[in-house]
Amino acid sequence: MLVASVGATGQGKFIAKNAYISFYSSTPMEDILGESNEAVTILNTETGEIAFQALMTTFHFKRALMEEHFNENYMESTKFPKAKFNGKIEGYNSSVLSGPVIDIKVAGILMVHGVEKTITISAKLGLEDGKLVGISKFKVTPEDYGIKIPSLVRDKIGKEMEIIVKANYLPFGN
Amino acid sequence: MKKIPGILIGLFLFILSGNVWSQDLDALLNAETKPTVDFRTATFKSTRIINGHSIEQMKKNQLEFRISHRFGTLNNGLYGLFGLDQSVIHFSLEYGLKDWLMLGAGRGSLNKTYDGFAKIRLLRQSSGEKFMPVHLSYFTSVELKTINFPVRPAGTSNYFSSRLAYVNQLLIARKFNENLSVQLTPTFIHRNLVKTELDLNDIYALGIGTRFKLSKRLSVNAEYYYTYNPNSKSLEPRPYNALSVGIDIETGGHVFQIMLTNSQGMREGSFIPQTTGNWLDGDIHLGFNISRVFAFNNK
Repeated sequence: MLVASVGATGQGKFIAKNAYISFYSSTPMEDILGESNEAVTILNTETGEIAFQALMTTFHFKRALMEEHFNENYMESTKFPKAKFNGKIEGYNSSVLSGPVIDIKVAGILMVHGVEKTITISAKLGLEDGKLVGISKFKVTPEDYGIKIPSLVRDKIGKEMEIIVKANYLPFGN
Repeated sequence: MKKIPGILIGLFLFILSGNVWSQDLDALLNAETKPTVDFRTATFKSTRIINGHSIEQMKKNQLEFRISHRFGTLNNGLYGLFGLDQSVIHFSLEYGLKDWLMLGAGRGSLNKTYDGFAKIRLLRQSSGEKFMPVHLSYFTSVELKTINFPVRPAGTSNYFSSRLAYVNQLLIARKFNENLSVQLTPTFIHRNLVKTELDLNDIYALGIGTRFKLSKRLSVNAEYYYTYNPNSKSLEPRPYNALSVGIDIETGGHVFQIMLTNSQGMREGSFIPQTTGNWLDGDIHLGFNISRVFAFNNK
């Protein structure tokens, strides 16, 4: 039984090691775009559970100063190095993995800046050119995660950040 | 030893595997995350601590335009509006050619001096996969005084080379924690021509600078340059060690530095060997550095 359960942890999973995550905010004063191509994500094909992790220092910006302020002033990356998401696909059925891309909902916990919040995200999952892809676009409010934006720069940073996630999954262990 | 019923073992394993299950994906992700080298960034807010350079660089393709002012001395009193009636200015353009190489050129009104410099990053403080206790950079500059030479006795002449001074510095810094950073700056300066026979052509100095963050956007900085000069007491005007205290205020794309200093010079060749103000006499200059950064990334 022990052998069986250990075996199960490695099987029935898909992984993406270079998943893309971006966040974007736009105001008349300034557009801010941070992008990482180094997020990792795992999908448990048996349960529909899904997990993401991204190191804050892997996000890059056009302006070096933005990157510095992102890590130093807002995300406090030394204290909170990672953002995480742990969730489950609602009404999961494993047939989604072998069909075309469809709309799904994922409910779970998003942890950013050390603050955990329950969140439900619209996403798309399915096969595209024979490969399993997951895509999502959703919005978060920095204040919800204890990220303070001083009034001095308030007009340069949007109230909400648009997050885009793209992952190309491969069978785990390959 | 009593035999434990198989069903209990089964139950135990079931609970265990259940626990493993919920932690499962996270643990797998942790195992997949490659160990990283964590470089300490933002050791100082600006490329200057106050007058002297910090180990911070302009990153690749970033251009900084800096304007600095030092007013007259506070002991001018109300008649001279505490020094505000007079000021010296320095402005410069400074560019990150590579993340590790920064070049700059500027001009200061004190002695009508042009300067060019290079700052090269050699080591970065890091933890994680690679441990390095300090940042280390090399700074070098050439300063060209273009102010008219004093009238010389007939039959003697001035040379262009007499206008030049060379600066070499090692910048050794450590960010101890989020708030406290300290830098040591051993310095060697060579001046081709000095005022009198007692003035030294070769100057050795040691700078110590620090910043302490009061909040995310506000820090207190202090900087002291000890200059080895055995003749200092016999020189006229007498040189003093440069001592400066100031604050850094960060507002998005700008860093605003306001300081009090006994030096009116803003370049190494002037504030290190020829600071003539004495703090105890009230020879204190109010000043500021302001900078704007422009990004030239093609993206």
